[in-house]
Amino acid sequence: MADFREVADTVDLDDPGSLLVEVDERLVVLVRAAGHWYALDDVCTHDGGPLSNGRLDPDAKTLACPRHGAQFDLASGAARTMPATKPTVAHEVKVEGGKVYVRLRS
Amino acid sequence: MSALATTSGFRRDALETLLATRSEPRWLTARREAAWDRFAALGMPDPQAEEWMRTDIRLFKLDRFGPALGGDAPAQRELPPPLLAAGVDLGGRVAALDGRTVVSELDARWAQRGVLLGDLSQLAAEHGDLLRTYLDRETVAPGYDKFSALGHAFWTSAAVLYVPPGVRVEQPIHLYSALGDGACDVSRTLIVLAEGAEATVLSETASRGPHDAGLHVGSIELLVEPGARLRYVNLQNWGDKVWHFAHQKAAVAARGGLQWTLGALGSRLAKVNQRVALTGPDAEAQVNGVLFTQGRQHLCYNTHQHHEAPHCRSDLLYKAALQDESRTVWRGMIKVDPVAQRTDAYQRNDNLLLSPTARADSIPGLEIEADDVRCTHGSTSGRVDDEQLFYAMTRGYTRREAVRMIVAGFFQQVFDRITIESVRDALGEAIGSRVRDLQ
Repeated sequence: MADFREVADTVDLDDPGSLLVEVDERLVVLVRAAGHWYALDDVCTHDGGPLSNGRLDPDAKTLACPRHGAQFDLASGAARTMPATKPTVAHEVKVEGGKVYVRLRS
Repeated sequence: MSALATTSGFRRDALETLLATRSEPRWLTARREAAWDRFAALGMPDPQAEEWMRTDIRLFKLDRFGPALGGDAPAQRELPPPLLAAGVDLGGRVAALDGRTVVSELDARWAQRGVLLGDLSQLAAEHGDLLRTYLDRETVAPGYDKFSALGHAFWTSAAVLYVPPGVRVEQPIHLYSALGDGACDVSRTLIVLAEGAEATVLSETASRGPHDAGLHVGSIELLVEPGARLRYVNLQNWGDKVWHFAHQKAAVAARGGLQWTLGALGSRLAKVNQRVALTGPDAEAQVNGVLFTQGRQHLCYNTHQHHEAPHCRSDLLYKAALQDESRTVWRGMIKVDPVAQRTDAYQRNDNLLLSPTARADSIPGLEIEADDVRCTHGSTSGRVDDEQLFYAMTRGYTRREAVRMIVAGFFQQVFDRITIESVRDALGEAIGSRVRDLQ
């Protein structure tokens, strides 16, 4: 299993807010919403393009693809709405001492 | 010695250093400088553009690489063993390591008949007038995008083969380019078959280690003059952390014939434009593509069959098998000009997914401006049929043997079109060793 990697300071993100980070040669969208932290692969499983810059809904806990609107669950990566049907990868996040860490799931 | 130690980024001063280390004629350096101007003016590709929207290069850091400059040239013995040349009686070979040509040999039998083979820097001094006429055609346009401009400005190895009119080179020519970890190869290939000439060229790339990192930017230009026939094979087998950006184009003149077989096994990310232009009546081209991806590889191949003259034939078949979380993107286009009546063109792409997390994007296209043509295309993507697996296992095969057999059967259609035995064997063995099990 991969190790946790430091990716940001907690002050780097507003709540709600998102930030694109690099973790071990992968692009990950780090999300802060309603007091929680999430990390999703920056990949919409519908068209394979990036998810970052999509609309964040902190109440529904979803991130929408900026091109076709497919919504992904922030916690599990599950595809909540069409046109995506497959989940994107949700990674582990922890916050310690003002730092945010991400551990990749394959 | 790693080329990385003596690189300085793709900057103007690096170009000047590069030029200072070579004694190229003025007309050739002028081309580099013109390409530099384009490179400096062009931005990185627009990720929203159709050609790039499925190929994400945000993790690619161009400033971490630079041209191979100065220092001692690597030794020939450091070349990893090639796959395509094993057991083949070669008529000549050119090999580059870490972006520098380290081998250039041509059998005297062909040299006596006027065949030229070697590095462009050297051949340009003696045969400049001849080569210049072909380079002037700019078969691969230097200003197409930032990578083509980079390649035309900063190339450090350039293999050239010229076959004079009517000469049939019966022994295959081998072109090889290899990279060490962290190195950069900016290369060009120019092959010219003058009227009525014939040749077979086996071209391949490799890294010294399967997980080596690196960068390759390159162009391939194939000029098949009237009545000439070229069999060209290029096998891309870079290490799985190499970035690979290539522009490849063949121009086939009247009555000329080209069989172009492409194998793509390596690289972390490949973005390749492979184009064939049929420029004179009754020209024909057959294009075969064999792709196998694994891990998190991303291979994007854009193919283009351009019918610029009447009565021409083109036939393209790309087959890809994907495992793990790898991805392929194939965008194919058949373009038929208004003058190109009686065109017969075909393109097909089949993808076999060995894992639920692999992804194949297949986008065939036709753009037809003539009204008396036959143009067809097809695309399939699917998983291995469980019933086929079950049947093979009831006949005594293990599951892994069954999967390998099904993958081999999938590729057989394209292998049947490859007329060079060593190429069929090398591709078959390379793919067979990569296939694991269904995921």
